[in-house]
Amino acid sequence: MLRAYIWIYVAFLYAPMAIITLFSFHSSPSLTFPFEGFSLRWYEKIFSDANFMHSLWNSVIVGAAAAAVTTVLGSLAALGLARMKGKTKAVFGLLAFAPVGLPGLFLGISLVILYAQIGLPRSLFTIVIAHVLFTIPFFIETMRSRVEYFDLGLEEAARDLGAGPLRTFWLVTLPIIAPTIAGAAILAFALSFDEFIITVFVSGNETTLPLLIWSMMRRAVSPDINAASVLSLSLSIGLILIGGLIVWYQRRKAIGSRA
Amino acid sequence: MTTPPIVELYGVTKSFGAFTVLNDIDLKIADGEILTLLGPSGCGKTTLMRIVAGFEQSTHGRVLLRGVDVSNQPPERRPVNMVFQRYALFPHLDVFDNVAFGLRLKKKSKSEIKKTVTHMLELVQLGEYANRWITELSGGQAQRVALARALVNEPSVLLLDEPLAALDLKIRHHMLAELKRIHVETGTTFIYVTHDQDEATILSDRIVLMNKGAIEQIGTPEEMYARPQSLFCAKFLGETNILSGSVISAEGDTTYVDIGAGAAKVAMNGVPVGSQVSLAVRPEAIRLDKVREVAGKENFNFVDGVIQDVVFMGSRVVYNIRTPINLIKYQETRPVHGISLERGDEVRASWAADAAVLLTH
Ligand SMILES: Nc1ncnc2c1ncn2[C@@H]1O[C@H](COP(=O)(O)OP(=O)(O)OP(=O)(O)O)[C@@H](O)[C@H]1O
Ligand SMILES: [Mg+2]
Repeated sequence: MLRAYIWIYVAFLYAPMAIITLFSFHSSPSLTFPFEGFSLRWYEKIFSDANFMHSLWNSVIVGAAAAAVTTVLGSLAALGLARMKGKTKAVFGLLAFAPVGLPGLFLGISLVILYAQIGLPRSLFTIVIAHVLFTIPFFIETMRSRVEYFDLGLEEAARDLGAGPLRTFWLVTLPIIAPTIAGAAILAFALSFDEFIITVFVSGNETTLPLLIWSMMRRAVSPDINAASVLSLSLSIGLILIGGLIVWYQRRKAIGSRA
Repeated sequence: MTTPPIVELYGVTKSFGAFTVLNDIDLKIADGEILTLLGPSGCGKTTLMRIVAGFEQSTHGRVLLRGVDVSNQPPERRPVNMVFQRYALFPHLDVFDNVAFGLRLKKKSKSEIKKTVTHMLELVQLGEYANRWITELSGGQAQRVALARALVNEPSVLLLDEPLAALDLKIRHHMLAELKRIHVETGTTFIYVTHDQDEATILSDRIVLMNKGAIEQIGTPEEMYARPQSLFCAKFLGETNILSGSVISAEGDTTYVDIGAGAAKVAMNGVPVGSQVSLAVRPEAIRLDKVREVAGKENFNFVDGVIQDVVFMGSRVVYNIRTPINLIKYQETRPVHGISLERGDEVRASWAADAAVLLTH
C-alpha cells in the first residue's frame, strides 16, 4: 500500500518534468499527445532568440558574481565559526543559517526598500547583492559540514614548522578545503541561477532566465518555453549534482581520516 | 649539568579561567638529553609542552630557549619542533613534501632540500616512500614521517607528545628503540610526554614526574625507582609494597617504625617520633622463606602470611601473600629448578633495612 503510494508520489513529482522534456523535442508545436516525432527546432529557436540569449547571459553573470562574493564571505564565516566554541558558536551558527527560513518575498521587499532609501538604482548589481544574501546561508552550512571535521592540529603543525598565520592559511588550510569550497560555490551558482522571487523585486529592467521564462509563460504556452525550461533545469540539476557530490565526498574523506 | 641548559622554565603557571592546570613549574633541561614528562592523565603534560612550543601562553612565568626568553614569540619563531600525538601530517602533500615543508619555508635551495629530505627519510627508514600519499601509510610509517618532518629542521629541542600512544604494543617497542637510535644519531634534545612508565624508564635520561599540575619529583629512572620521595612516586613507577605505620624511635641513621605486624628498621633519619609514615618495599627486594624454617631468627623487617597465589610471568614469578596488615607482593626471577613455594604455604616476607624507603607523604 505504502509502496504504491511512493510510486504515485514519484510519478506525480517527476511526470511534469518528463512531459516538458519530451515535448521540448517535439517536431510539431502541438503540446498534446500524440507525439509526432523528435526535432531540435525549439532549441534552435531559443538559441537564435536575442532575448533568450541575453537573459541566459545575465543569469550566468549574476550567478558567477554572486557565487564569487558568497564564496569569499561564506568561506571566511565558516572558518571563523569552526574556531568558535560552545554557546557563541551555537548562537552564531544559528544566526548564519536562520535566513534560510525567511520568505523570499520578505527579503525581496526589504531589499527594494533598502535600495530606494540609499538611492541605489536597480540593476544586475542589485540582483547580485540580493543573491549573495540568499545563497550565503546555504553556502556556510555546506562548508560547515566539512570544516567542522578540519583538524586544527594541521594548522598548528604548519605554525610549528615555521609558517606564519597567513602562510598557514595559503599552504595548508586553503588547499585542504579547496575542493569543498569549489563544490559549495557551484551550489551557490545553481541557487542563484534558479532564483526567481527575490529577483522579481530587485531586477529593475534586467531579466534573468527564470524571469524570462515566466514572462514567456504569461504570453502563451509555447513549445520553446519547454526548451528554455529544460535547458535551465538540466543546467541546475547538473550543477547541483556535481557540487553536491564534491561536498559529500570531501566530507566523507574528512570523517574517514578522523577515525 | 656542565653544558648550559637548553630549555629553562621559571615559575610557569597556566590557568584556564579559574582552573589552574600548571602551578609554578621550574625546570632546566640539558642539551642533548631525553627528558620525559610522566604523569597521570590530566596532570598538565601536554599543556606544559604546548607552552614550550608556543601554542599556549603561560599565565605567569618565563620560557627560555638557549638562554633567550621566548615567552612572547609565536610558535613559528621558536627553534623547537613537535611531533603531534595524532601526527597532523598534511593530507594534501606526499611524504616528501610533508618532510620538505619546513625547509621550503626557510627558502633552502631545491637541491639542498632534495638532499636533506632524502637523508632524513633514510634515517627514519622510509627512503622508498618519498612519493607515497599520507593516506597510504600505516600508523608506524606515519609516525616516522611526523618524526622526519620535525627533525629535518634541526630543532634545538624536539617535542614528542605521546608519539606512540596510537600504535599497537609490538610496533611501540620497535619505535622506542628507533627513537633511541635517532636520538643518538642526531644528538637532539628530546622532551617526551607519556603516561606510560615503561616508555619513560626505557627511554629517558631523566624523568619529570608530574601530579596535578606540579612537579612531584625529577631524577634518572633508577633514582626515581629506587628512591621515590613520595607515596605518589613510589606507586606510579613500578609495583611496590606499601606498609603504613608510625615512627616509634630513631637512633643515629636508623628509624624504627611500628607497622602493625611488628617493627621495621629503616636506614633513614630525620623523621620525628610519632609521625605517620609509609614504607615502600619493591617486590624484588623481598625475601621469602617458609615460616617454620626461619621462626625466631629475626626481630625486625618481616611479616608472616600465607601465599594466596603464584603468578607465572615468563622470566619472573610473582607471589601474592596475604598477611594481617596488607597484601604483599614478592617477585623473583624464575627459579631454574622449579618453583618450590605454592599456594597455601605459610611464609615470612622479610627485607633488608636499606631496601625500604621511608615516605612521609
Ligand atoms: N584549552 C583548555 N581549556 C580548558 N581546560 C583545558 C584546556 N586544555 C587543557 N585543559 C585542562 O588542563 C588539564 C591538563 O590537560 P593536559 O592536556 O595538559 O593533560 P595531560 O597531562 O596531557 O593529560 P593526558 O595524559 O590525558 O594527555 C586537564 O584537566 C584539561 O582538561
Ligand atoms: Mg596530553
